[in-house]
Amino acid sequence: MATDPLSQTFAALADPTRREILVRLAKGEATVNELAEPFTMSLQAVSKHLKVLEAAGLISRGRDAQYRPCHFEPGPLEAATDWIAQNRRIWTERFDQLEEHLKRITQEKEKEK
Amino acid sequence: MSDAPNEPGELRITRIFEARPEVVFECMTTPSHLTHFWGPIGMSTPLEGITIEPRPGGRFETVMINDETGEEYPVRGVFVEFDPPRTFSFTEAGVEGGMVTAIVFNDLGDGRTETVTHQTNVPPMLMSPEAQAGLETSFVKFDAYLATL
Repeated sequence: MATDPLSQTFAALADPTRREILVRLAKGEATVNELAEPFTMSLQAVSKHLKVLEAAGLISRGRDAQYRPCHFEPGPLEAATDWIAQNRRIWTERFDQLEEHLKRITQEKEKEK
Repeated sequence: MSDAPNEPGELRITRIFEARPEVVFECMTTPSHLTHFWGPIGMSTPLEGITIEPRPGGRFETVMINDETGEEYPVRGVFVEFDPPRTFSFTEAGVEGGMVTAIVFNDLGDGRTETVTHQTNVPPMLMSPEAQAGLETSFVKFDAYLATL
């Protein structure tokens, strides 16, 4: 598996449960118990998802040994959306230039006539 | 320029060009044309860095160079479809687990061509209009969107 940060972000987000966990955390910090509540899942399974999210930098865990509340960290998600926005920009600029290029070659062809 | 709303799982860009599909398709798949427009603003795509093997399984490679810094951005694609002048698609193995870009050329019948560019294989959540609009608002709308997945 690719280990660059962007690939890690995409991989972490590929799972619907992890996305739901993130949506919940975006509203405010929560403990593992609170996160497990809406899911029919063991605490252990939720913890596993949290580890993936933490490794991708999408969440951080508090130091309180008993509760270790989870916080949403927007940085990697912003990087991922930036990447998409940049991709869109590249294609838009590319097509703008293709438009100009098409005008040029059409004019040249007309001159040849 | 018209941007159709994104379908989940896709980045979609729709454009209309003042040329017939044969011409637009040729421009997008011929090195001597590509070198004139492939690099976005501030980037060049020299002819010698472009490799096109016009068939399914053939290479579609370009190297974009930053005009200011000289930094190189190689794109190593492989054609999946190559069906002139209707469509071509290519995969980039190095990008996010195999991103697929497909371009469909629609003949508008009046000398113009509509191109629809799709990029897929990027997680749906990031491609939703909500996600692209911004994180804060996206997360608020997200519950509803997730319910549709």
